[in-house]
Amino acid sequence: MILILRTTLWRSMFFTGVWWILIQGKTDTWFVGLISISLALVTSFILLPPNQYRFSFSGFAHFLIYFFASSLKGGIAVAWMAIRPNPDLHPNIYKITPRLPEGLGRVILANTINLLPGSLSVELTSSNLYVHVLDERQSIETEVRSIEEKIAHMLRLELKN
Amino acid sequence: MNILELCSIVFLVVGAIFFLAGTIGLLRFPDVYTRLQALAKVDNLGLGFTSIGLLFQAPELMIAMKIILIWLLTLVASSTISFLIARRAMKRGVIPWRAKEHIIE
Repeated sequence: MILILRTTLWRSMFFTGVWWILIQGKTDTWFVGLISISLALVTSFILLPPNQYRFSFSGFAHFLIYFFASSLKGGIAVAWMAIRPNPDLHPNIYKITPRLPEGLGRVILANTINLLPGSLSVELTSSNLYVHVLDERQSIETEVRSIEEKIAHMLRLELKN
Repeated sequence: MNILELCSIVFLVVGAIFFLAGTIGLLRFPDVYTRLQALAKVDNLGLGFTSIGLLFQAPELMIAMKIILIWLLTLVASSTISFLIARRAMKRGVIPWRAKEHIIE
């Protein structure tokens, strides 16, 4: 019960914050805001029921630094592949068994892989994650493992071996 | 021209280059998966640099926060949509394009 109340409180604050920034602090559309925030709250409870996730801010900072650094590195590589005369693509699909427990962690993992240039999640089943890569000569496994560690640290999850 | 304007222009130009590269990739790459990669990734960086470039010109904090928020929301949407398109393509049996000559190590 306390968990539900606490989750409701945090999520309402989050959605209100998002709304407040989007309308640039104006107050004349509060009615539309109230409806949107309520709908977002209900949707979030359907998609992600209250749970015991704990959030580590230092873990989040590490994650962000890693994310931006590798986005930049991969982004330049992919942009160069697109522009140069011979793209020299070597795409392949790899199957990876995530060490993160099922749920939010794995969804964040799949999305992070999508945002990192050069890799794309094509399927997430209950046991495996399928990743499409642009260049199979570079190890995707090492990269996924290191993203997993960052996410586990951020959400304070245990990694399975 | 002051230093803020210069920073803004540099970031906007870098952003535009990423957008251009992403679009060229979309046209040149061989199949749906590689095209998704070119489009989604390079555009994310393109939008990132464009947002940072615009931050230097933001007249007030509220607008700066809004620009960052729009970028973050776009990242989440773009990532989810790439996944959905790629998964649908897999389910429909679209075979990923493979390079013909493989380098043997």
